[in-house]
Amino acid sequence: MDARVERTDAQVVRDVLDGDRDAYRLLVRRYGDTLHGHALRMTGSADEAADLVQRALVKGYRKLGSCREPERVGAWLFRILANMCKDHVRSRRRSDIPLAKVQEVLPDDSDPEADAVGAEIRSRIWGALDALTPEQKEAFVLKHVEGRSYEEMAAVMDLSVASLKMRVQRARKALRGLLEEFA
Amino acid sequence: MNDDRHIEASSGGPANRPDADERRDYDEWERMIAAFRQSAPRSTGAPPWLEQKVMAEIEALPESGPFARLLQWLVRPAPVRIPPLAGLAVAAGLALLIALPRGGEPGPGGVVDGGVVDGAVVDGSDVRPAGGGSDGMEAVVYVQFVLEAPGANSVAVAGDFSEWEPEYTLEDVDGDGVWTGRVPVRPGVHTYMFLIDGTEWQTDPRAERYSDDGFGNRNAVLAVTAGT
Repeated sequence: MDARVERTDAQVVRDVLDGDRDAYRLLVRRYGDTLHGHALRMTGSADEAADLVQRALVKGYRKLGSCREPERVGAWLFRILANMCKDHVRSRRRSDIPLAKVQEVLPDDSDPEADAVGAEIRSRIWGALDALTPEQKEAFVLKHVEGRSYEEMAAVMDLSVASLKMRVQRARKALRGLLEEFA
Repeated sequence: MNDDRHIEASSGGPANRPDADERRDYDEWERMIAAFRQSAPRSTGAPPWLEQKVMAEIEALPESGPFARLLQWLVRPAPVRIPPLAGLAVAAGLALLIALPRGGEPGPGGVVDGGVVDGAVVDGSDVRPAGGGSDGMEAVVYVQFVLEAPGANSVAVAGDFSEWEPEYTLEDVDGDGVWTGRVPVRPGVHTYMFLIDGTEWQTDPRAERYSDDGFGNRNAVLAVTAGT
């Protein structure tokens, strides 16, 4: 077994800052999947998600010296990616988000429940989500799609539980209006 | 579990049983949440090439060891905070130095350079050469440019004051996505844009005025006065 795998995040960060660039590979392996999952749910596109994650990880490497809590470097990398995702969503026009992009990332063997939702409903749901502000969309995805607790969200996003609850509440209110027919 | 539904509940505590409308409302919401979850794009993990690409890009970056970081720290401009009283004292001292007769010819370049450094320290905004411009030298004003670009790896500003070369790079020192930089600009009306990651031109969203650039985009317009 590679002895480096046993290193804690804080040790890895220290090693990288001491010049061991290759140690950063461990952080890529540890957090790549989680980062990619969030980027995918924010963008709806596998290609865009992969590009954002790549850029976030490289930016994380370049800024690693400013990571104040090396033992929580995963959350720190997530914040970098989350900010990039919001910026990406903000800069993208709604019309640039065809349903096909959402559907292309659905697994071929999607379960019957998911199939039952139907393409039209999927379109309406994710179209409505893209109509939210990037901050509301992020809060809603973290809470209701990724199923995180408010405490987890607060730790990852460096925001208070109260402000996150407010964001989720506003997102839900906006979605209710947008999805009135469906609901 | 939807642990925040109490936010929308109209009537209070756990002791109160929800009425039929609330129950129906909650059920509808739960169905919608379920639909979101079911229709969410599912990641099967990061693509296998991600690690290789990230590491290749990192390998291509300049050294980042302790020595390299020390070197970066030494050459990176840092803001200098001084109390107003000390600033006034420095200004008075400089004024005295300038007013004193000197032996030998003052080098024009030296005057401008010295003015830039001193002006930045004293008030951080306006710099004028000795003699208040009466010797024919133009004043230079330091303009603070700010752009929020959380996803950017680099941000530069380019304008007619730099012959549209992106030679002035902005810094995001604390990693919060807000890039700032001070650029010397001569008085007059100027146009400029930001260049993100060396490829993406962006108009300053906070500019007060804009003008067409002739290529379908808008330049930000900046009016600089010499100051008093």
